[in-house]
Amino acid sequence: MEILHQLGQIILNLYKSSGLASLDWQNYVMILISFVLMFLAIKKQYEPLLLLPIAFGMMLVNIFPGIMGNPSTQLMTLEQLQAANLDPASYTTSVLDGVTYYNVTENGGLFYYLYQGVHLGIFPPLIFLGIGAMTDFGPLIANPKSFLLGAAAQIGIFITFIGATFLNFAPKEAGSIAIIGGADGPTAIFVTSQLAPELLGPIAVAAYSYMALVPIIQPPIMKLLTTKKERSIVMEQLRPVSKLEKIIFPIVVVVLVAILLPDAAPLVGMLMLGNLFKESGVVDRIAKTAQNELMNIVTIFLGTTVGATASGTLFLTPKTLGIIALGLIAFCFGTACGVLFGKLMCWATHGKVNPLIGSAGVSAVPMAARISQKVGQEENPANFLLMHAMGPNVAGVIGSAVAAGVLISVLK
Amino acid sequence: MENLNLALTLLIAGFVIVFVVLVLLIVIITLYGKIIQFAQNAVSKKQAVKNDSETPKVKSVTREEIEEMTSNEIPDEVIAVIAAAVDSLYGSKPHKIKNIKRSRSIRSSWGNAGIAENTRPF
Repeated sequence: MEILHQLGQIILNLYKSSGLASLDWQNYVMILISFVLMFLAIKKQYEPLLLLPIAFGMMLVNIFPGIMGNPSTQLMTLEQLQAANLDPASYTTSVLDGVTYYNVTENGGLFYYLYQGVHLGIFPPLIFLGIGAMTDFGPLIANPKSFLLGAAAQIGIFITFIGATFLNFAPKEAGSIAIIGGADGPTAIFVTSQLAPELLGPIAVAAYSYMALVPIIQPPIMKLLTTKKERSIVMEQLRPVSKLEKIIFPIVVVVLVAILLPDAAPLVGMLMLGNLFKESGVVDRIAKTAQNELMNIVTIFLGTTVGATASGTLFLTPKTLGIIALGLIAFCFGTACGVLFGKLMCWATHGKVNPLIGSAGVSAVPMAARISQKVGQEENPANFLLMHAMGPNVAGVIGSAVAAGVLISVLK
Repeated sequence: MENLNLALTLLIAGFVIVFVVLVLLIVIITLYGKIIQFAQNAVSKKQAVKNDSETPKVKSVTREEIEEMTSNEIPDEVIAVIAAAVDSLYGSKPHKIKNIKRSRSIRSSWGNAGIAENTRPF
């Protein structure tokens, strides 16, 4: 009988400590959402490098919220300490109302510590370092006018800011939501960690989800805003760019941007440092580390911890729905403004610019450029727009970092 | 209302700042691109002129002329190339080039392809 009682007690304790007793319906919904995201990442291969760790982090935190738990200090009396078999000499004391308490500190969850890289704005610039080391700015240097398309696609950010303000989001929150229109995950995380850290989960998930859905979101907008004739335009081949030009480029960009917009310096600075590693050709080992090991490690930490911010109770709110809707609007506006500016350039150059490359002005490197190529080839199979679209695409990275600098400097 | 004013200000300021920064970059990149291209063109032209003056003039020989030549008349460069090809084929086996003469029975490309197809070991 005693054995049965003890067995029952063990099962009860196991149940109490399990997720079944502590989780509420929001957690279960989030677990289901994480399954959908994992499906999209694995089966559809939508941005799997980020979507997979994000989805897994989301699942883990909703099963075991303690993994993101903050470190805490518990006040215990001597008797409680002895009952818990703890050594009083290991703890500092505080006296409250004449009673001595021992400060027993409890460590936070694993993801709490990893998340500090996001919270303190360390991971996004490190990701930019890796992106810089992988990016060839040659097409942009060969055709610097591409910068205009990269700038035009950022208009969506500022238009969405107005929309978010109309929906009664505070200015800092509105700025964080609007940056989703830049279609640049690290930039969105960086801005949000500076302006509205409490919205990091929904904003990061929205930003990466829309980046993953670029092949679905962009083509209808591109086709709607262009004619068949415009989509068929074949662009002239780009001139070759010398090594010296490629080496000077990152230095010039950093000097100019950091002087004019110091708030954009962490992002642009690291992006261009990575690029200088690559183009200088004298630090091959460092360039390879930035492109591979460092980038991969930071991606794992960033993805899982950002996903872990999406716990059910915080995520499933009307505010999140507003953020996701506004993020989509921002993204669509960015694409549309890029294409429209592309049309303007097409008109100004008497048909030498294919407006489809304008949509690549939102960052989402290199997915957005690939979409320009794909939509262009649907009209004219002999048309190769990829290299032309890479110019606005990498200009979009710089443009969204500049827009981020503007938002931070105005709103912080 | 106050937030809306801020939003409109940010729209205009943000739009203008992003464009100004990127237009400045366009100007600078175009300028230094032109300077570097100009400098590199000047250097390559100078190099070409120097190479022209230093390179000894070699008498050009046509295919027909080579066909008519005996081994004594074939230019040293052609002999060197043929010797290198023979050496790479025979390797360490002892070999000696006694005479170089153009073969009159030249097989067509299709013929060569057929032989290669049928004689390739695997």
